[in-house]
Amino acid sequence: MSPALVQGPDGLAGGLARLVPARRLSRAAREVNAVVTVAARDITITLGSPSGLVMGLAMPLLMMGMIGGMLRENMAGGLGFDFGQFMLVGMVVNMLFMMTTMGMVTLVDDSDDNYSAELLVAPVSRYSIVVGKIVGSSFLAVVSCLGVLVVGLAMGITLALWQLLVLLALAPLMCLSGGALSMIIMGAIKNKKTANMAVMMLTFPQMFLSGVIIPISQSSGLLWLLSRLMPMTYCVDLGRAVVWAGQPDYDAVVQFDPAVNLACIAALTALCLVVGTFLYARSEKNR
Amino acid sequence: MAVIEVENLVKRYKRAKQPSVKSVSFEVAEGEFFAFLGPNGAGKTTTISILTTTLSKTSGRVRIAGYDIESEDRQVRDHIGIIFQRPNLDRTLTAEQNIRVHSCLYGMYAYRPLYRAMPAAYRERVERLADVVGVGDALFKPVGKLSGGMQRKFEVVRSLMHTPHVLFLDEPTQGLDAVARHDLWDYLDRVRRQWGTTVFLTTHYIDEAEGADTVCLINRGEIALCCPPQEMKRQFGAADLEDAYVDFLRRDAGFQADGEPAVAAPPPDRAPAEPPAATPAQGAGGRS
Ligand SMILES: Nc1ncnc2c1ncn2[C@@H]1O[C@H](COP(=O)(O)OP(=O)(O)OP(=O)(O)O)[C@@H](O)[C@H]1O
Ligand SMILES: [Mg+2]
Repeated sequence: MSPALVQGPDGLAGGLARLVPARRLSRAAREVNAVVTVAARDITITLGSPSGLVMGLAMPLLMMGMIGGMLRENMAGGLGFDFGQFMLVGMVVNMLFMMTTMGMVTLVDDSDDNYSAELLVAPVSRYSIVVGKIVGSSFLAVVSCLGVLVVGLAMGITLALWQLLVLLALAPLMCLSGGALSMIIMGAIKNKKTANMAVMMLTFPQMFLSGVIIPISQSSGLLWLLSRLMPMTYCVDLGRAVVWAGQPDYDAVVQFDPAVNLACIAALTALCLVVGTFLYARSEKNR
Repeated sequence: MAVIEVENLVKRYKRAKQPSVKSVSFEVAEGEFFAFLGPNGAGKTTTISILTTTLSKTSGRVRIAGYDIESEDRQVRDHIGIIFQRPNLDRTLTAEQNIRVHSCLYGMYAYRPLYRAMPAAYRERVERLADVVGVGDALFKPVGKLSGGMQRKFEVVRSLMHTPHVLFLDEPTQGLDAVARHDLWDYLDRVRRQWGTTVFLTTHYIDEAEGADTVCLINRGEIALCCPPQEMKRQFGAADLEDAYVDFLRRDAGFQADGEPAVAAPPPDRAPAEPPAATPAQGAGGRS
Protein backbone atom coordinates (compact mmCIF):
# COMPACT_ATOMS: atom_id res chain seq x y z
CA MET A 1 0.00 0.00 0.00
CA SER A 2 1.33 3.40 -0.84
CA PRO A 3 1.68 5.57 2.23
CA ALA A 4 0.24 8.43 0.23
CA LEU A 5 -3.14 6.68 0.26
CA VAL A 6 -3.45 6.95 4.01
CA GLN A 7 -4.31 10.29 5.50
CA GLY A 8 -2.73 11.10 8.85
CA PRO A 9 -4.12 13.47 11.45
CA ASP A 10 -2.29 16.31 9.82
CA GLY A 11 -3.77 15.39 6.49
CA LEU A 12 -0.45 14.04 5.32
CA ALA A 13 0.48 10.62 4.17
CA GLY A 14 0.94 8.06 6.89
CA GLY A 15 -2.33 7.53 8.72
CA LEU A 16 -1.05 4.52 10.56
CA ALA A 17 1.82 5.19 12.90
CA ARG A 18 4.24 2.74 11.38
CA LEU A 19 3.74 4.14 7.90
CA VAL A 20 5.09 7.51 8.83
CA PRO A 21 8.72 7.61 7.76
CA ALA A 22 9.81 9.21 10.98
CA ARG A 23 13.54 8.45 10.83
CA ARG A 24 15.29 8.86 7.57
CA LEU A 25 18.91 9.28 8.49
CA SER A 26 21.30 6.57 9.57
CA ARG A 27 22.75 6.60 13.06
CA ALA A 28 26.04 8.25 12.08
CA ALA A 29 24.32 10.74 9.79
CA ARG A 30 21.99 11.65 12.63
CA GLU A 31 24.88 12.49 14.92
CA VAL A 32 26.54 14.66 12.28
CA ASN A 33 23.20 16.26 11.55
CA ALA A 34 22.73 16.94 15.26
CA VAL A 35 26.12 18.67 15.47
CA VAL A 36 25.22 20.79 12.44
CA THR A 37 21.78 21.60 13.83
CA VAL A 38 22.97 22.63 17.28
CA ALA A 39 25.75 24.70 15.72
CA ALA A 40 23.37 26.30 13.23
CA ARG A 41 21.03 27.30 16.03
CA ASP A 42 23.85 29.10 17.82
CA ILE A 43 25.05 30.79 14.66
CA THR A 44 21.51 31.93 13.87
CA ILE A 45 21.28 33.42 17.35
CA THR A 46 24.68 35.12 16.99
CA LEU A 47 23.74 36.61 13.62
CA GLY A 48 20.47 37.83 15.09
CA SER A 49 22.26 39.85 17.75
CA PRO A 50 24.25 42.76 16.27
CA SER A 51 25.53 43.81 19.69
CA GLY A 52 27.18 40.43 20.12
CA LEU A 53 28.86 40.74 16.73
CA VAL A 54 30.11 44.22 17.59
CA MET A 55 31.53 42.86 20.83
CA GLY A 56 33.23 40.12 18.87
CA LEU A 57 34.92 42.70 16.70
CA ALA A 58 35.70 45.11 19.52
CA MET A 59 37.54 42.48 21.50
CA PRO A 60 40.57 42.34 19.15
CA LEU A 61 40.69 46.12 19.01
CA LEU A 62 40.88 46.26 22.77
CA MET A 63 43.35 43.44 23.30
CA MET A 64 45.52 43.62 20.28
CA GLY A 65 45.26 47.32 19.56
CA MET A 66 45.67 48.58 23.10
CA ILE A 67 47.54 46.00 25.15
CA GLY A 68 49.60 44.71 22.25
CA GLY A 69 50.25 48.16 20.85
CA MET A 70 51.55 49.43 24.18
CA LEU A 71 53.81 46.45 24.70
CA ARG A 72 55.14 46.68 21.20
CA GLU A 73 56.06 50.31 21.62
CA ASN A 74 57.62 49.92 25.05
CA MET A 75 59.34 46.58 25.22
CA ALA A 76 59.79 45.03 21.83
CA GLY A 77 63.43 45.92 21.31
CA GLY A 78 66.14 43.28 21.71
CA LEU A 79 63.91 40.21 21.62
CA GLY A 80 65.68 38.77 18.61
CA PHE A 81 62.49 38.27 16.59
CA ASP A 82 59.61 40.23 15.11
CA PHE A 83 57.46 41.00 18.13
CA GLY A 84 54.58 42.25 15.97
CA GLN A 85 54.18 38.90 14.24
CA PHE A 86 54.77 37.05 17.49
CA MET A 87 51.86 38.91 19.01
CA LEU A 88 49.66 38.65 15.93
CA VAL A 89 49.88 34.86 15.82
CA GLY A 90 49.36 34.69 19.58
CA MET A 91 46.28 36.90 19.30
CA VAL A 92 44.81 34.91 16.42
CA VAL A 93 45.07 31.73 18.46
CA ASN A 94 43.91 33.49 21.62
CA MET A 95 40.78 34.81 19.92
CA LEU A 96 39.86 31.43 18.48
CA PHE A 97 40.44 29.72 21.78
CA MET A 98 39.11 32.30 24.20
CA MET A 99 36.00 33.39 22.30
CA THR A 100 34.94 29.77 21.91
CA THR A 101 35.45 29.23 25.64
CA MET A 102 33.38 32.32 26.40
CA GLY A 103 30.64 31.41 23.91
CA MET A 104 29.98 28.17 25.73
CA VAL A 105 28.47 30.10 28.64
CA THR A 106 25.23 30.19 26.62
CA LEU A 107 24.75 26.62 27.83
CA VAL A 108 23.78 28.19 31.14
CA ASP A 109 21.23 30.41 29.35
CA ASP A 110 19.76 27.29 27.82
CA SER A 111 19.49 25.81 31.29
CA ASP A 112 17.76 28.92 32.61
CA ASP A 113 15.28 29.05 29.73
CA ASN A 114 14.63 25.36 30.20
CA TYR A 115 15.74 24.92 26.59
CA SER A 116 18.45 22.46 27.55
CA ALA A 117 15.65 20.02 28.41
CA GLU A 118 14.62 20.11 24.75
CA LEU A 119 18.21 19.47 23.65
CA LEU A 120 18.88 16.76 26.21
CA VAL A 121 15.66 14.85 25.55
CA ALA A 122 16.66 14.47 21.89
CA PRO A 123 17.78 10.99 20.83
CA VAL A 124 21.35 11.98 20.03
CA SER A 125 24.69 11.58 21.78
CA ARG A 126 25.53 14.14 24.46
CA TYR A 127 28.82 14.61 22.65
CA SER A 128 26.98 15.70 19.51
CA ILE A 129 25.19 18.37 21.52
CA VAL A 130 28.40 19.62 23.15
CA VAL A 131 30.45 19.53 19.96
CA GLY A 132 27.62 21.29 18.10
CA LYS A 133 27.65 23.95 20.78
CA ILE A 134 31.43 24.33 20.41
CA VAL A 135 31.16 24.68 16.63
CA GLY A 136 28.40 27.24 17.10
CA SER A 137 30.48 29.24 19.61
CA SER A 138 33.48 29.17 17.32
CA PHE A 139 31.60 31.21 14.77
CA LEU A 140 31.98 34.40 16.78
CA ALA A 141 35.56 33.32 17.53
CA VAL A 142 36.32 33.32 13.81
CA VAL A 143 34.74 36.76 13.50
CA SER A 144 37.03 38.02 16.29
CA CYS A 145 39.97 36.35 14.64
CA LEU A 146 39.26 38.24 11.43
CA GLY A 147 39.10 41.37 13.59
CA VAL A 148 42.62 40.60 14.83
CA LEU A 149 43.90 40.37 11.28
CA VAL A 150 42.29 43.69 10.40
CA VAL A 151 43.71 45.41 13.49
CA GLY A 152 47.08 43.83 12.70
CA LEU A 153 46.93 45.17 9.19
CA ALA A 154 46.18 48.62 10.58
CA MET A 155 49.24 48.31 12.82
CA GLY A 156 51.34 47.25 9.88
CA ILE A 157 51.68 43.60 10.97
CA THR A 158 50.96 41.07 8.26
CA LEU A 159 51.35 37.38 7.51
CA ALA A 160 52.10 35.68 4.21
CA LEU A 161 49.08 34.02 2.61
CA TRP A 162 50.42 30.49 3.19
CA GLN A 163 51.06 31.31 6.85
CA LEU A 164 47.51 32.53 7.19
CA LEU A 165 46.14 29.43 5.51
CA VAL A 166 47.98 26.97 7.75
CA LEU A 167 46.86 28.92 10.79
CA LEU A 168 43.26 28.78 9.61
CA ALA A 169 43.60 25.07 8.93
CA LEU A 170 44.49 24.63 12.61
CA ALA A 171 41.59 26.82 13.73
CA PRO A 172 39.05 23.98 14.23
CA LEU A 173 41.45 22.23 16.58
CA MET A 174 42.00 25.39 18.61
CA CYS A 175 38.28 26.12 18.86
CA LEU A 176 37.55 22.55 19.88
CA SER A 177 40.23 22.78 22.52
CA GLY A 178 38.89 26.06 23.89
CA GLY A 179 35.31 24.83 23.91
CA ALA A 180 36.24 21.58 25.60
CA LEU A 181 38.05 23.46 28.35
CA SER A 182 34.95 25.48 29.19
CA MET A 183 32.88 22.30 29.52
CA ILE A 184 34.67 21.67 32.80
CA ILE A 185 33.18 24.92 34.09
CA MET A 186 29.76 24.30 32.50
CA GLY A 187 29.61 20.92 34.21
CA ALA A 188 30.24 22.47 37.59
CA ILE A 189 28.45 25.84 37.54
CA LYS A 190 24.79 26.43 36.79
CA ASN A 191 24.57 30.12 37.65
CA LYS A 192 25.11 32.51 34.76
CA LYS A 193 26.93 35.22 36.69
CA THR A 194 29.22 32.74 38.38
CA ALA A 195 29.85 30.89 35.12
CA ASN A 196 30.76 34.13 33.36
CA MET A 197 33.12 35.06 36.19
CA ALA A 198 34.72 31.65 36.18
CA VAL A 199 35.30 31.81 32.45
CA MET A 200 36.85 35.28 32.80
CA MET A 201 39.07 34.07 35.62
CA LEU A 202 40.21 31.27 33.39
CA THR A 203 40.69 33.09 30.09
CA PHE A 204 42.43 36.30 31.13
CA PRO A 205 45.25 34.79 33.18
CA GLN A 206 45.54 32.15 30.50
CA MET A 207 46.24 34.84 27.94
CA PHE A 208 49.39 35.77 29.85
CA LEU A 209 50.31 32.34 31.13
CA SER A 210 50.27 30.80 27.67
CA GLY A 211 52.46 33.46 26.13
CA VAL A 212 50.01 35.11 23.77
CA ILE A 213 51.65 38.52 24.04
CA ILE A 214 54.56 38.15 26.41
CA PRO A 215 57.07 35.36 25.78
CA ILE A 216 57.05 32.73 28.53
CA SER A 217 60.29 30.96 27.74
CA GLN A 218 61.83 32.45 30.90
CA SER A 219 58.94 31.52 33.23
CA SER A 220 59.80 29.47 36.29
CA GLY A 221 58.19 27.91 39.36
CA LEU A 222 54.43 28.11 39.70
CA LEU A 223 54.02 30.20 36.56
CA TRP A 224 56.00 27.61 34.63
CA LEU A 225 53.75 24.85 35.96
CA LEU A 226 50.53 26.74 35.25
CA SER A 227 51.62 27.59 31.74
CA ARG A 228 52.17 23.93 31.03
CA LEU A 229 48.74 23.00 32.33
CA MET A 230 46.98 25.44 30.00
CA PRO A 231 45.88 23.82 26.74
CA MET A 232 46.21 27.19 25.02
CA THR A 233 49.98 27.24 25.64
CA TYR A 234 50.36 24.38 23.18
CA CYS A 235 47.90 25.92 20.72
CA VAL A 236 49.80 29.21 20.67
CA ASP A 237 53.13 27.45 20.32
CA LEU A 238 51.85 25.22 17.54
CA GLY A 239 50.53 28.27 15.71
CA ARG A 240 53.95 29.91 15.92
CA ALA A 241 55.71 26.71 14.90
CA VAL A 242 53.85 26.58 11.61
CA VAL A 243 54.24 30.27 10.91
CA TRP A 244 57.97 30.35 11.72
CA ALA A 245 58.69 27.04 10.00
CA GLY A 246 62.05 27.18 8.23
CA GLN A 247 62.94 30.65 9.46
CA PRO A 248 66.24 31.47 11.18
CA ASP A 249 64.63 32.81 14.36
CA TYR A 250 62.44 29.69 14.81
CA ASP A 251 64.25 28.61 17.97
CA ALA A 252 63.85 32.01 19.60
CA VAL A 253 60.08 31.92 19.09
CA VAL A 254 58.98 28.29 19.34
CA GLN A 255 59.30 26.35 22.60
CA PHE A 256 58.13 22.80 21.89
CA ASP A 257 58.28 20.32 19.08
CA PRO A 258 55.04 20.61 17.04
CA ALA A 259 54.40 16.90 17.60
CA VAL A 260 54.56 17.50 21.37
CA ASN A 261 52.16 20.40 20.93
CA LEU A 262 49.72 18.32 18.94
CA ALA A 263 49.87 15.45 21.39
CA CYS A 264 49.30 17.76 24.37
CA ILE A 265 46.40 19.53 22.65
CA ALA A 266 44.79 16.24 21.69
CA ALA A 267 45.19 14.77 25.17
CA LEU A 268 43.98 17.86 27.06
CA THR A 269 41.06 18.39 24.65
CA ALA A 270 39.92 14.78 24.84
CA LEU A 271 40.20 14.84 28.62
CA CYS A 272 38.22 18.07 28.99
CA LEU A 273 35.60 16.94 26.49
CA VAL A 274 34.99 13.59 28.13
CA VAL A 275 35.05 14.84 31.72
CA GLY A 276 33.18 18.07 30.88
CA THR A 277 30.41 16.37 28.91
CA PHE A 278 29.98 13.79 31.64
CA LEU A 279 29.77 16.47 34.33
CA TYR A 280 27.43 18.60 32.27
CA ALA A 281 25.00 15.79 31.43
CA ARG A 282 25.07 14.63 35.03
CA SER A 283 24.51 18.07 36.49
CA GLU A 284 21.46 18.59 34.26
CA LYS A 285 20.02 15.24 35.27
CA ASN A 286 21.00 14.84 38.93
CA ARG A 287 18.85 17.37 40.68
CA MET B 1 1.84 -5.13 26.05
CA ALA B 2 2.76 -2.40 28.51
CA VAL B 3 4.59 0.46 26.86
CA ILE B 4 5.32 2.19 30.18
CA GLU B 5 6.33 0.01 33.13
CA VAL B 6 7.10 1.69 36.43
CA GLU B 7 8.08 -0.35 39.46
CA ASN B 8 8.72 1.07 42.93
CA LEU B 9 9.95 4.37 41.56
CA VAL B 10 11.43 6.63 44.22
CA LYS B 11 12.81 10.13 43.76
CA ARG B 12 14.39 12.21 46.44
CA TYR B 13 15.77 15.49 45.14
CA LYS B 14 19.25 16.51 46.16
CA ARG B 15 19.30 17.96 49.66
CA ALA B 16 15.58 17.24 50.13
CA LYS B 17 14.56 15.57 53.37
CA GLN B 18 11.51 13.80 51.99
CA PRO B 19 11.22 11.92 48.73
CA SER B 20 8.94 13.66 46.21
CA VAL B 21 7.96 10.34 44.66
CA LYS B 22 7.59 7.41 47.05
CA SER B 23 7.63 3.93 45.61
CA VAL B 24 5.26 4.46 42.73
CA SER B 25 4.25 1.55 40.48
CA PHE B 26 1.95 1.49 37.45
CA GLU B 27 1.73 0.28 33.88
CA VAL B 28 0.41 1.90 30.73
CA ALA B 29 -0.65 -0.25 27.80
CA GLU B 30 0.17 0.41 24.18
CA GLY B 31 -2.18 3.02 22.72
CA GLU B 32 -3.68 3.84 26.11
CA PHE B 33 -4.77 7.32 27.16
CA PHE B 34 -3.40 7.58 30.69
CA ALA B 35 -4.30 10.55 32.89
CA PHE B 36 -1.98 11.23 35.82
CA LEU B 37 -3.80 13.59 38.15
CA GLY B 38 -2.96 15.17 41.45
CA PRO B 39 -2.73 18.49 43.29
CA ASN B 40 0.18 20.93 43.04
CA GLY B 41 3.39 19.43 44.25
CA ALA B 42 2.07 15.87 44.11
CA GLY B 43 5.02 14.63 42.07
CA LYS B 44 3.58 14.56 38.54
CA THR B 45 6.30 16.57 36.80
CA THR B 46 8.95 14.74 38.81
CA THR B 47 7.59 11.40 37.55
CA ILE B 48 7.34 12.61 33.94
CA SER B 49 10.89 13.99 34.05
CA ILE B 50 12.21 10.62 35.16
CA LEU B 51 10.17 8.74 32.55
CA THR B 52 11.50 11.03 29.82
CA THR B 53 15.14 10.58 30.98
CA THR B 54 15.68 14.23 31.93
CA LEU B 55 15.88 13.52 35.67
CA SER B 56 17.68 10.73 37.48
CA LYS B 57 15.73 8.40 39.75
CA THR B 58 16.71 7.49 43.28
CA SER B 59 15.60 3.88 42.97
CA GLY B 60 13.12 1.65 41.20
CA ARG B 61 12.79 0.32 37.70
CA VAL B 62 11.29 2.06 34.66
CA ARG B 63 10.94 0.75 31.13
CA ILE B 64 9.53 2.67 28.18
CA ALA B 65 8.67 0.79 24.98
CA GLY B 66 10.66 -2.09 26.42
CA TYR B 67 13.83 -0.09 27.04
CA ASP B 68 15.35 0.68 30.40
CA ILE B 69 15.44 4.43 31.05
CA GLU B 70 18.95 4.29 32.45
CA SER B 71 20.91 1.76 30.44
CA GLU B 72 19.00 2.36 27.18
CA ASP B 73 18.13 6.03 27.53
CA ARG B 74 18.85 6.80 23.91
CA GLN B 75 16.34 4.28 22.62
CA VAL B 76 13.81 5.58 25.12
CA ARG B 77 14.30 9.12 23.81
CA ASP B 78 13.80 7.88 20.31
CA HIS B 79 10.31 6.68 21.16
CA ILE B 80 8.96 9.60 23.14
CA GLY B 81 7.70 13.11 22.66
CA ILE B 82 7.08 15.60 25.42
CA ILE B 83 5.42 18.91 26.10
CA PHE B 84 7.13 20.24 29.20
CA GLN B 85 5.18 22.00 31.91
CA ARG B 86 7.50 25.01 31.66
CA PRO B 87 7.30 26.45 28.16
CA ASN B 88 10.66 26.10 26.49
CA LEU B 89 10.70 27.28 22.93
CA ASP B 90 13.87 29.15 22.07
CA ARG B 91 12.70 32.76 22.24
CA THR B 92 15.51 34.05 20.06
CA LEU B 93 14.42 31.93 17.08
CA THR B 94 11.24 31.94 15.03
CA ALA B 95 8.63 29.28 15.69
CA GLU B 96 9.55 27.51 12.47
CA GLN B 97 13.26 27.52 13.35
CA ASN B 98 12.39 25.89 16.67
CA ILE B 99 10.47 23.17 14.89
CA ARG B 100 13.23 22.74 12.30
CA VAL B 101 15.89 22.27 15.00
CA HIS B 102 13.65 19.71 16.67
CA SER B 103 12.94 17.74 13.49
CA CYS B 104 16.62 17.65 12.59
CA LEU B 105 17.65 16.55 16.08
CA TYR B 106 15.21 13.65 15.72
CA GLY B 107 16.89 12.63 12.50
CA MET B 108 13.94 13.31 10.24
CA TYR B 109 15.64 15.68 7.84
CA ALA B 110 19.12 16.95 7.14
CA TYR B 111 19.49 20.51 8.45
CA ARG B 112 19.32 23.37 5.95
CA PRO B 113 19.93 26.97 7.00
CA LEU B 114 16.95 28.29 5.07
CA TYR B 115 13.31 27.25 5.27
CA ARG B 116 13.08 27.25 1.46
CA ALA B 117 15.95 24.81 1.31
CA MET B 118 14.29 22.27 3.62
CA PRO B 119 12.61 19.30 1.89
CA ALA B 120 9.07 19.86 0.61
CA ALA B 121 7.82 17.08 2.90
CA TYR B 122 9.03 19.02 5.92
CA ARG B 123 7.54 22.31 4.81
CA GLU B 124 4.20 20.70 4.04
CA ARG B 125 4.10 18.93 7.40
CA VAL B 126 4.99 22.04 9.42
CA GLU B 127 2.46 24.21 7.64
CA ARG B 128 -0.35 21.67 7.93
CA LEU B 129 0.33 21.01 11.60
CA ALA B 130 0.50 24.73 12.35
CA ASP B 131 -2.75 25.29 10.49
CA VAL B 132 -4.46 22.50 12.37
CA VAL B 133 -3.73 24.14 15.71
CA GLY B 134 -4.48 27.57 14.25
CA VAL B 135 -1.07 29.22 14.27
CA GLY B 136 -0.20 28.96 10.58
CA ASP B 137 0.10 32.74 10.29
CA ALA B 138 2.65 33.03 13.05
CA LEU B 139 5.04 30.36 11.84
CA PHE B 140 7.80 32.79 10.90
CA LYS B 141 7.49 35.19 13.81
CA PRO B 142 10.09 35.27 16.58
CA VAL B 143 8.82 33.25 19.50
CA GLY B 144 9.43 36.18 21.86
CA LYS B 145 6.71 38.11 20.02
CA LEU B 146 4.03 35.43 20.33
CA SER B 147 1.40 35.18 23.05
CA GLY B 148 1.79 32.45 25.65
CA GLY B 149 -1.03 30.39 24.16
CA MET B 150 0.42 30.61 20.67
CA GLN B 151 3.78 29.46 21.99
CA ARG B 152 2.03 26.52 23.60
CA LYS B 153 0.46 25.59 20.30
CA PHE B 154 3.83 25.58 18.61
CA GLU B 155 5.12 23.31 21.33
CA VAL B 156 2.32 20.94 20.42
CA VAL B 157 3.36 21.08 16.78
CA ARG B 158 6.98 20.53 17.74
CA SER B 159 6.22 17.52 19.93
CA LEU B 160 4.26 15.83 17.15
CA MET B 161 6.75 16.40 14.33
CA HIS B 162 8.57 13.12 14.86
CA THR B 163 5.42 11.02 15.42
CA PRO B 164 6.35 9.79 18.89
CA HIS B 165 5.29 6.40 20.06
CA VAL B 166 4.55 7.70 23.57
CA LEU B 167 3.55 11.30 24.09
CA PHE B 168 4.02 12.91 27.51
CA LEU B 169 1.89 15.98 28.05
CA ASP B 170 2.59 17.97 31.23
CA GLU B 171 -0.35 20.36 31.45
CA PRO B 172 -0.46 20.90 27.70
CA THR B 173 -3.48 23.16 27.68
CA GLN B 174 -2.30 25.48 30.44
CA GLY B 175 -2.83 29.01 29.16
CA LEU B 176 -4.95 28.08 26.15
CA ASP B 177 -8.34 29.67 25.52
CA ALA B 178 -11.44 27.46 25.56
CA VAL B 179 -11.69 27.12 21.80
CA ALA B 180 -8.01 26.32 21.44
CA ARG B 181 -8.28 23.70 24.18
CA HIS B 182 -11.22 22.13 22.45
CA ASP B 183 -9.48 22.09 19.06
CA LEU B 184 -6.30 20.72 20.53
CA TRP B 185 -8.10 17.81 22.15
CA ASP B 186 -9.96 17.09 18.95
CA TYR B 187 -6.64 16.91 17.25
CA LEU B 188 -4.93 14.82 19.93
CA ASP B 189 -7.86 12.37 19.76
CA ARG B 190 -7.25 12.01 16.06
CA VAL B 191 -3.53 11.52 16.65
CA ARG B 192 -4.30 8.77 19.12
CA ARG B 193 -6.81 7.04 16.92
CA GLN B 194 -4.81 7.18 13.73
CA TRP B 195 -1.25 6.87 14.97
CA GLY B 196 -2.00 4.65 17.93
CA THR B 197 0.04 7.01 20.09
CA THR B 198 0.11 6.31 23.82
CA VAL B 199 -0.71 9.50 25.71
CA PHE B 200 0.48 10.21 29.26
CA LEU B 201 -1.28 13.33 30.47
CA THR B 202 -1.14 15.50 33.53
CA THR B 203 -3.60 18.34 33.80
CA HIS B 204 -5.52 20.44 36.28
CA TYR B 205 -8.51 20.63 33.90
CA ILE B 206 -10.01 17.40 35.15
CA ASP B 207 -12.65 17.26 32.39
CA GLU B 208 -9.82 16.61 29.93
CA ALA B 209 -9.32 13.23 31.59
CA GLU B 210 -12.96 12.13 31.11
CA GLY B 211 -12.02 10.31 27.93
CA ALA B 212 -8.99 8.62 29.43
CA ASP B 213 -8.70 4.84 29.59
CA THR B 214 -7.12 5.04 33.03
CA VAL B 215 -7.01 7.75 35.66
CA CYS B 216 -4.24 7.58 38.18
CA LEU B 217 -4.34 9.82 41.24
CA ILE B 218 -1.09 10.79 42.87
CA ASN B 219 -0.86 12.73 46.09
CA ARG B 220 2.24 13.56 48.15
CA GLY B 221 4.28 11.30 45.93
CA GLU B 222 2.08 8.26 46.38
CA ILE B 223 -0.46 6.70 44.07
CA ALA B 224 -3.83 6.72 45.73
CA LEU B 225 -6.02 5.27 43.02
CA CYS B 226 -5.57 3.89 39.54
CA CYS B 227 -8.70 2.87 37.61
CA PRO B 228 -10.91 3.76 34.65
CA PRO B 229 -12.71 7.10 35.09
CA GLN B 230 -16.13 5.37 35.16
CA GLU B 231 -14.95 3.26 38.06
CA MET B 232 -13.70 6.30 39.92
CA LYS B 233 -16.96 8.16 39.43
CA ARG B 234 -18.86 5.10 40.62
CA GLN B 235 -16.74 4.81 43.75
CA PHE B 236 -17.36 8.41 44.66
CA GLY B 237 -20.92 8.44 43.40
CA ALA B 238 -20.11 11.50 41.34
CA ALA B 239 -21.62 12.57 38.04
CA ASP B 240 -18.37 13.77 36.57
CA LEU B 241 -14.73 13.12 37.11
CA GLU B 242 -14.00 16.53 38.55
CA ASP B 243 -16.50 16.02 41.40
CA ALA B 244 -15.01 12.62 42.14
CA TYR B 245 -11.51 14.09 42.10
CA VAL B 246 -12.33 16.98 44.38
CA ASP B 247 -14.15 14.64 46.73
CA PHE B 248 -11.16 12.36 46.80
CA LEU B 249 -8.78 15.18 47.64
CA ARG B 250 -11.00 16.54 50.37
CA ARG B 251 -11.30 13.15 52.00
CA ASP B 252 -7.63 12.61 51.68
CA ALA B 253 -6.96 15.95 53.34
CA GLY B 254 -9.42 15.03 56.08
CA PHE B 255 -7.71 11.75 56.79
CA GLN B 256 -4.37 13.47 56.86
CA ALA B 257 -5.61 16.07 59.32
CA ASP B 258 -6.76 13.28 61.62
CA GLY B 259 -3.34 11.73 61.43
CA GLU B 260 -4.70 8.71 59.62
CA PRO B 261 -3.25 7.26 56.50
CA ALA B 262 -4.21 8.61 53.11
CA VAL B 263 -6.82 6.79 51.05
CA ALA B 264 -5.37 3.41 50.23
CA ALA B 265 -4.97 2.46 46.62
CA PRO B 266 -7.27 -0.39 45.70
CA PRO B 267 -5.85 -2.83 43.18
CA PRO B 268 -6.83 -1.63 39.69
CA ASP B 269 -9.32 -4.36 38.87
CA ARG B 270 -10.86 -5.08 42.23
CA ALA B 271 -13.62 -3.04 43.81
CA PRO B 272 -12.66 -1.46 47.13
CA ALA B 273 -13.94 -3.24 50.22
CA GLU B 274 -16.05 -0.33 51.30
CA PRO B 275 -17.19 2.22 48.73
CA PRO B 276 -16.78 5.74 50.10
CA ALA B 277 -19.86 7.76 50.90
CA ALA B 278 -21.57 9.47 48.04
CA THR B 279 -22.13 13.13 48.79
CA PRO B 280 -19.46 15.33 47.32
CA ALA B 281 -17.71 17.88 49.49
CA GLN B 282 -18.96 16.29 52.66
CA GLY B 283 -15.68 14.78 53.68
CA ALA B 284 -13.87 18.09 53.92
CA GLY B 285 -12.07 17.64 57.18
CA GLY B 286 -15.24 16.80 59.09
CA ARG B 287 -15.10 13.03 59.10
CA SER B 288 -14.43 11.09 62.24
N1 LIG C 1 14.47 20.75 41.71
C1 LIG C 1 13.83 20.42 42.85
N2 LIG C 1 14.50 20.33 44.01
C2 LIG C 1 13.88 19.99 45.15
N3 LIG C 1 12.59 19.71 45.24
C3 LIG C 1 11.84 19.77 44.13
C4 LIG C 1 12.42 20.13 42.87
N4 LIG C 1 11.44 20.12 41.94
C5 LIG C 1 10.32 19.78 42.59
N5 LIG C 1 10.54 19.57 43.89
C6 LIG C 1 9.55 19.15 44.90
O1 LIG C 1 9.00 17.91 44.52
C7 LIG C 1 7.61 17.86 44.79
C8 LIG C 1 6.86 17.45 43.54
O2 LIG C 1 7.00 18.46 42.57
P1 LIG C 1 6.42 18.31 41.11
O3 LIG C 1 6.93 19.42 40.30
O4 LIG C 1 6.66 16.93 40.63
O5 LIG C 1 4.86 18.50 41.37
P2 LIG C 1 3.65 18.49 40.35
O6 LIG C 1 2.77 17.35 40.74
O7 LIG C 1 4.12 18.49 38.97
O8 LIG C 1 2.91 19.84 40.71
P3 LIG C 1 2.20 20.96 39.78
O9 LIG C 1 0.82 20.50 39.58
O10 LIG C 1 2.23 22.17 40.62
O11 LIG C 1 2.97 21.07 38.54
C9 LIG C 1 7.24 19.22 45.33
O12 LIG C 1 7.16 19.12 46.71
C10 LIG C 1 8.39 20.11 44.95
O13 LIG C 1 8.61 21.09 45.92
MG1 LIG D 1 4.03 19.78 37.45
